[in-house]
Amino acid sequence: MRVLLVEDDRMIGDAVQMALRDASHAVDWVHDGTAALSAAASESYDVMLLDLGLPQQDGFAVLRQLRQHSNSLPVLIVTARDAVEDRIGGLDLGADDYVIKPFEMGELLARMRAVVRRKAGNANPVMSNGSLFLDPSTREVTVDGIATRLSAREFSLLHALLLRPGAILSRQELEDRIYGWNEEVESNAVEFLIHSIRKKLGAASIKNVRGLGWMVSKQD
Amino acid sequence: MDGFKTRLSRSLQFRLSLWLSLVILAMAVPAGVYSFYSAFHEANDLQDDQLRQVAALVLSRDLPPATPDRRATGKMKDDESKVIVQILAPAQNAGADDTSLRLPADLPDGIQTVKVGHVPWRLFVKPTASGQRLAVGQQTEVRDEIARDSGLRTVMPFMVLIPILIALVSIMVRGMLHPIARLSQEVDRRDDQDIRPLDEQHVADEIRPLIGSINRLLRRVADNMDAQRRFLADAAHELRSPLTALSLQAENLAATDLSPASKARLLPLRQGLNRSKALLEQLLTLARSQNTGAPQASQVTQVSLQAVLRRVVEDSLPLAQANQIDIGVEADTEVTLAAQEVDIVALIRNLIDNAIRYTPPGGNVEVRLHAQPGLVSIEVEDSGPGIREAERERVFDPFYRVPGSDQDGSGLGLSIVKSIVARLHGKIELRHARSDAPYGLKIIIRLPA
Repeated sequence: MRVLLVEDDRMIGDAVQMALRDASHAVDWVHDGTAALSAAASESYDVMLLDLGLPQQDGFAVLRQLRQHSNSLPVLIVTARDAVEDRIGGLDLGADDYVIKPFEMGELLARMRAVVRRKAGNANPVMSNGSLFLDPSTREVTVDGIATRLSAREFSLLHALLLRPGAILSRQELEDRIYGWNEEVESNAVEFLIHSIRKKLGAASIKNVRGLGWMVSKQD
Repeated sequence: MDGFKTRLSRSLQFRLSLWLSLVILAMAVPAGVYSFYSAFHEANDLQDDQLRQVAALVLSRDLPPATPDRRATGKMKDDESKVIVQILAPAQNAGADDTSLRLPADLPDGIQTVKVGHVPWRLFVKPTASGQRLAVGQQTEVRDEIARDSGLRTVMPFMVLIPILIALVSIMVRGMLHPIARLSQEVDRRDDQDIRPLDEQHVADEIRPLIGSINRLLRRVADNMDAQRRFLADAAHELRSPLTALSLQAENLAATDLSPASKARLLPLRQGLNRSKALLEQLLTLARSQNTGAPQASQVTQVSLQAVLRRVVEDSLPLAQANQIDIGVEADTEVTLAAQEVDIVALIRNLIDNAIRYTPPGGNVEVRLHAQPGLVSIEVEDSGPGIREAERERVFDPFYRVPGSDQDGSGLGLSIVKSIVARLHGKIELRHARSDAPYGLKIIIRLPA
């Protein structure tokens, strides 16, 4: 994809540009807000990586003007400012995501992909944590190339966990996902479902953290 | 004596009490002595008058000049107080009564002191109408004793009142200086982050300038601390960009075709960079947590400790699992606290990270959350080596590491915990996980809800 990199720090710009090129992306690098706006107006990009602390016009100003001109270019803010207000401000102004320095290149690339995917509206329907693959259309889960069908509730539970691999969900949260508003929650239902999923997919498929809840591990 | 001198030079209260007491004594002693002697003399004069009156009485009534009846006076306890009345005779014929004194016949008329034998007497001699001479007398010692008694009676109030006066002065001085003592107690009770100005309104005019000066100093200290904190935050912030660039360069390098030897050497470089990044984050967290300013109301929410704990454990789980450390949580109900979420996250993250870091592989970490009315407690217990009693104060110092521990943590974790707990007006307690053995660390944090 074609990337507009807006970064005034030479060292970071160099490093990011190199990494993006290594990942087979086309990169245009500008050093200030004015140049960023003119580049965004004249060329067509897939994503903008925007630093907030820029000379002349800061990142917020660039973002505001970009959105005022109805430019829907996906914007990923890359900044050293980690205050909550800055994040909220950036997202409110129409940024699509937020990465805080120092970051890992792998994370930046993943977030870029996610932002572009969301924009395109074709979020990958198959959910995965790297070892489990869940297809919501067929309720089929594939582990090591072996496909297994899940019941409706088993599917709801695994789906909830796979929305964010590595996240711990409490019993309450899982019950909320599995049962509708008017349905009677059976006690031990969560344990029962997890037991049956583990029987189908292996004991390590869902991990328990004592006192907190359950998760599927995140594999990089 | 040295102690006395020190007290004299140091204690205003002691000095004031001492000098006031000395002044009282300096006034009272001469006054007492003067009144003693004037009362003494007055009593003597009075007694002389008495002798004259007795003589006049004897002469006018023509009474027989004799000593008062022995049998009557014998009952008196002090028969030396008697007054003698006798006729001075040239020979000893008049002294047939053995109680009469051997007085020389040639005594002059009037008041005088005469030694009879070895006893001094005060005598009044007056000629009678019949040409004889009448002597009325009393022992000087007796007279003086009476005069002394009367003198002492006038001095008595002084002797009783002086100690009372001195005691009252001491009490009053202490009372007057009480506001100063209270002020110093108030300052002593404060924790070291508390540099609010002292109350200037409810103190005596004489102390107010001092409090004003202290407050100005506190303000300067606060400004200074702010500047230091800002510097720490700014420095850590500024370090972010070069560190980001460095770690990206290292990543880029790792993505190229490297010889196995280069790859092996790149690994510690990247680990070092990661450690620097972690340290930088901790520095920023510490700077933020030491910010004593009251948080904006909009940033304070009801934070669910379970939710925060879940997020923190999600992040630390890979490290814990790599070391086969079992993490467990016990919480009876949903525990919430009105606070800034970022504080609670930093607090719990540092507690859990610390516990995982210092627990040997195969160990376990237990977290307990309890809510009581007005109080929330967070307990983190690990099966590591624990912290010896002697180290328990120092572990809160930034960059302090317990000797012998080989952990590559930032050394800021417990400093951050301490600052945040202080910000939330809570208390920290460190102990061994079990009371019977020096083993494991249990950190108990109590926060007012």
